[in-house]
Amino acid sequence: MVSEQQSESLMSLLNAGEHRPLDEIVADFNSKFPGLLRFVLCSSLSLLLENKKMLRPTQRLVALAILYQNYSSQKPSSNPFISLLVNDACDEEAEICERAFIIQLLGSNNSVLKLSAADFINSFDPSSLALPQREQLQKQYCNIAHPEPFNCLFKNACVKNVVPDPDLPPGCDQNSQEFELQPGVKPKIGSGDRDQMITGLLQNLSLEGLGPRWIRPLPPRLPIQEGELVWLNPANKHELLWDYGMCADTSRGAAVRDLITKALKGPLGPTQQELLKHANLSLIPQQVLVELTNDPKLVYHCGLTPRKLPELVENNPLIAVEVLIKLMNSPEISEYFTVLVNMDMSLHSMEVVNRLTTAVELPTEFVHLYITNCISSCENIKDKYMQNRLVRLVCVFLQSLIRNNIINVKDLFIEVQAFCIEFSRIREAAGLFRLLKTLE
Amino acid sequence: MDSNDGVLSAAAKDASAAFHWEKFSECMRVLNQLLQNNGDDPKVLHNIAIARSFQDGCSDPKNLLLLLNNVRRRSIELAHVSEEHADTVSNVANKAALGSKGTNSVAQHFSTAYNSHFGYGDKLDTSVTLINIAIIWFHLHEYAKAYSIVDSLFQKIEQIDEGIALRICLLFLDVALASVDPWKFFDVLNYLEKACCVSNTISQIGSSNLEAKSSSLPSPSSAADASESPLSRTLLEENLETLISSIDMSGQNLAGLSGLQSSNNRTWAPSDHSVSTSDLRLKLQLYKVRLLLLTRNLKAAKREVKMAMAMNVAHGKDSSMALLLKSQLEYDRGNYPKAIKLLMTSSNQTEIGISSIYNNNMGCIYYRLGKYHTSSIFFSKALINSSSLRKENPKMLSTFSQDKSLEIIYNCGMQYLACGKPILAARCFHKASLIFCRRPLLWLRIAECCLVAVEKGLAKSSSAQSNKSEVKVRVIGNGKWRQLAVENGNFGKGGFVEKDNGFLGDDKEPNLSLPFARQCLFNALYLLNCLESKYTNFASPYSSTLDENRRKNSDNKSSSVSAPKGSYLSNANVDSKEQKGGSAPNATLQSSILNYEEICRRENMMIKQALLADLAYVELHLGNPLKALSTARCLLELPECSRIYIFLGNVYAAESLCLLNRPKEAAQHLLIYLSGGTHVELPYTEVDCEQWRVEKIVDLEESNGGFLNSKNSSLDETQDVVFLKPEEAQGTLLANLGVISAVHGDAEQAHRFVMQALSIMPDSLEAILSSIFVDLTIGKIQEALTKLKQCSHVGFLLGTSN
Repeated sequence: MVSEQQSESLMSLLNAGEHRPLDEIVADFNSKFPGLLRFVLCSSLSLLLENKKMLRPTQRLVALAILYQNYSSQKPSSNPFISLLVNDACDEEAEICERAFIIQLLGSNNSVLKLSAADFINSFDPSSLALPQREQLQKQYCNIAHPEPFNCLFKNACVKNVVPDPDLPPGCDQNSQEFELQPGVKPKIGSGDRDQMITGLLQNLSLEGLGPRWIRPLPPRLPIQEGELVWLNPANKHELLWDYGMCADTSRGAAVRDLITKALKGPLGPTQQELLKHANLSLIPQQVLVELTNDPKLVYHCGLTPRKLPELVENNPLIAVEVLIKLMNSPEISEYFTVLVNMDMSLHSMEVVNRLTTAVELPTEFVHLYITNCISSCENIKDKYMQNRLVRLVCVFLQSLIRNNIINVKDLFIEVQAFCIEFSRIREAAGLFRLLKTLE
Repeated sequence: MDSNDGVLSAAAKDASAAFHWEKFSECMRVLNQLLQNNGDDPKVLHNIAIARSFQDGCSDPKNLLLLLNNVRRRSIELAHVSEEHADTVSNVANKAALGSKGTNSVAQHFSTAYNSHFGYGDKLDTSVTLINIAIIWFHLHEYAKAYSIVDSLFQKIEQIDEGIALRICLLFLDVALASVDPWKFFDVLNYLEKACCVSNTISQIGSSNLEAKSSSLPSPSSAADASESPLSRTLLEENLETLISSIDMSGQNLAGLSGLQSSNNRTWAPSDHSVSTSDLRLKLQLYKVRLLLLTRNLKAAKREVKMAMAMNVAHGKDSSMALLLKSQLEYDRGNYPKAIKLLMTSSNQTEIGISSIYNNNMGCIYYRLGKYHTSSIFFSKALINSSSLRKENPKMLSTFSQDKSLEIIYNCGMQYLACGKPILAARCFHKASLIFCRRPLLWLRIAECCLVAVEKGLAKSSSAQSNKSEVKVRVIGNGKWRQLAVENGNFGKGGFVEKDNGFLGDDKEPNLSLPFARQCLFNALYLLNCLESKYTNFASPYSSTLDENRRKNSDNKSSSVSAPKGSYLSNANVDSKEQKGGSAPNATLQSSILNYEEICRRENMMIKQALLADLAYVELHLGNPLKALSTARCLLELPECSRIYIFLGNVYAAESLCLLNRPKEAAQHLLIYLSGGTHVELPYTEVDCEQWRVEKIVDLEESNGGFLNSKNSSLDETQDVVFLKPEEAQGTLLANLGVISAVHGDAEQAHRFVMQALSIMPDSLEAILSSIFVDLTIGKIQEALTKLKQCSHVGFLLGTSN
């Protein structure tokens, strides 16, 4: 912003037009004010010039000289105020001598600057002047088309932020000379000091002017959200736990592991034939089962991996059933199932699956896959005797599944029917076929 | 060797007994002996660490964590070594077996060697160490860390000793609640409930038949009983029986669930470590209430809390927790007087931890009542309680978790913000960010602090801003030459210098400024987008859970391997019982979680609208119209955007477009509100404002009864947030339409719009300035002067001083 002191010193420069040569005044202007401020002052001057009555004629000439000379080192077309100068030179309403002054300035006729503004006006001879046409001047001095400086709409639309508000007694003509402040005369009501007003304006003229004001509503604060305020509840006590497994006696577990290992190698206790007869439970090696029942977690630590499951199934199907039932909640149970499905078909694996189906809920996909495997095993077996045996087993197995409502026959109907027809020579297959028919 | 083992295990028993009877020095003595004999046993090291923390408090939980982590690492190393060893041995064994038939005995020998080594794996079980680590993290409020540990333990919960498993589940419930993971909470609760429910059904059936069997192990004789039935039945029954015997051997004591009967050496398991069945059921009931409160199913919560109260009465238990939850329920329902009453009866305030909770909750209630001053008193009391808790000696682990000062500080922040004290509020939020930094809402609140501070001229960088409450007019010269210069304020300028290199001031507190607000808003948006993508990724499997559940109930076959844990526990027999009692409330839980997800989604949408509106505003202020425009467009594109925010989005977008010299597009954003040529509609209604203020799902059944109270109190709440009334918004639109018309050069239309705007809001400075501008452009200087002189918000400054 322009300070009071600066505006006063500019004012004195403007008033110096009465006696000092213009070039001195311009030089003073250049030396007194730093570069950026010069532009600000120039634009204020240009705004003051817009109102033809505000500045006195000599002041106007000084202002015009400053506007022109401040940029005289560059081409006239790059003077930011060139259009103002050109317009003023062509303005029919402007003072003739002012127009002539501008023409001489534009023509780089520096001799005018040797004069004071008052001398120029006094010595001005209107007859000697030929005023050029506006087009000619514009072509000559504004020939380079300036790209419009980018500015937002609001700024482009701005108007001057100063409004004259003459404070006069009602019914008086504001153009009348009587309200000018005369030195030595007592001021009348309504008279004002022109110079004081100009220094004031120099300080307050805003480059940007007054624009329309856009209303930008402040976004509201988000209302407090449900549950945003933290409601506290006492925390539950979670105390550190003692590890009771420290130096624990693991001999019992080891015994079970031993038994399981043995069970992988061969049937425990009674012979296979006895197991085959769906023997009662007293024939199952009690020890393993008792231990497993005692400690339900033991099953996870008994050393039975999915890989080893087939051995257990072949050698001790009942133990395998028991172990699998206990493993039902284990995340690895699906791995055990996968192994079970993929192992070679045998009486024992079928036995295990059959018992599992009745004891726990097996995934349907698993049961279906197992049955499909059974059927394809039957088809692929070469040895006729073995094939007959297996087919009979599968038939009994399937009948059991159907009777116990473990599978829904409809899901596998076509597959099972085809199987029955293929092996219709076998009595059990025919029986299964009849069972299917009754269900239809 | 064997005898040595026996001695060790006897000593270990002594140590355990000493620990149980809280004779910690005796315990330490025995443990140190054990350490000398068996230096590398991780479990001994573990128990030493635990015993020590009980002996002289736990002043340094981080150190304890370090110790336990070392124990864990040691166990894993040992397990690894023994596994490798086992592998090589079994390989040798296999080779030997394959190699020659004659060396069968050798193979046998090797395989036993292998097995005994495998047995070591049992000793190296790290689940106790892990849960202790998780417990410490929990107490330190590090819920994410605790979560990942407990979650991994829960994955193999079946393999873990039931006593520990129960601890894991209870901890997991709290951790899931703290990390707002209702689905996990649901899984764990379901699992626990099934375990609990089974024992309950048994005790209910409790007939001679089952009772008798439950105490006996499956034996040939019991099988013989069943021999008439098909074998399948036998197996089934036997299975049930083992289940029974494993779960409810001792009838009452759920610690029986820990398979105590299997190891006689544990019969003296510490009493405080065992939870009786009725205690557990009560606990679960309270947990259920908490889940329902979290998911805002108030109706069901009311029912369940009633049940909890009844259970309390039946067992003569301390019912403070149930009362507290009931108070929270009434608070959530908006029945504040009742909430206060319940809160007052719920607690004896002698305990510092409890009184801090009590004061905080009182503060919450008074905040909701709109009595911010009272609430601030309660909050600061709560903070004082918390800090005296921190000074308590000796420090136990629970001291850390009882210290909820950061949560209380967040509440303080909200209260300061509501009172229009943005700097204090921001200070609170900044502190609370230690625990809440993953919450988008926190960052939004900090940004709001910045906006309020800037608006009030409190922000450091906004000092240059002129007083917005009046237009300044300078009177220059006098008499004939008198001129009026209208000061343009900081119009068009950013008013901000982005030289703030750090957002944090010297005192590590945020400098409230608009660039800082922008940063916060970006944080919040980022977090919100993370949440959104989480919902879109995970919502789909969960949203189908309900259907799945229905399907499951109708068709039990579908429980597949991938189904959630615990579903296997329910085999056909148990299920039939389940359907009568157990599964119905859990369906409620499930549906309320689904409901809650929808609530969260909607809430996040609301937060997002606020974020984008704030961001567009900030960008405009910072002089980035292009960014403001894209932000405003994002806002307008949001589905289900509130009409209030649509209005803001349109106004911001229009301003950005004007700043970008695209007046036609700008006008489009405002003209949508124009009907019949000149009439501008209300951009939103009072109803929209109401809805926006209380985004509450009121179920109709309640609204005609107990909710009357909440209706009244919501009026109080509205004072909390001020925003343009619909008419003011309409005036804003008119004034801005006037501006666009003026810029277009259509002064007549501009004049009409601006005059309409002024008639709605005669006090709006912007509207006055715009109308003066319009007058000046059409040369009505006298009218402009009259307006200036008549307006009460114009300050005339004499003279020329700057």
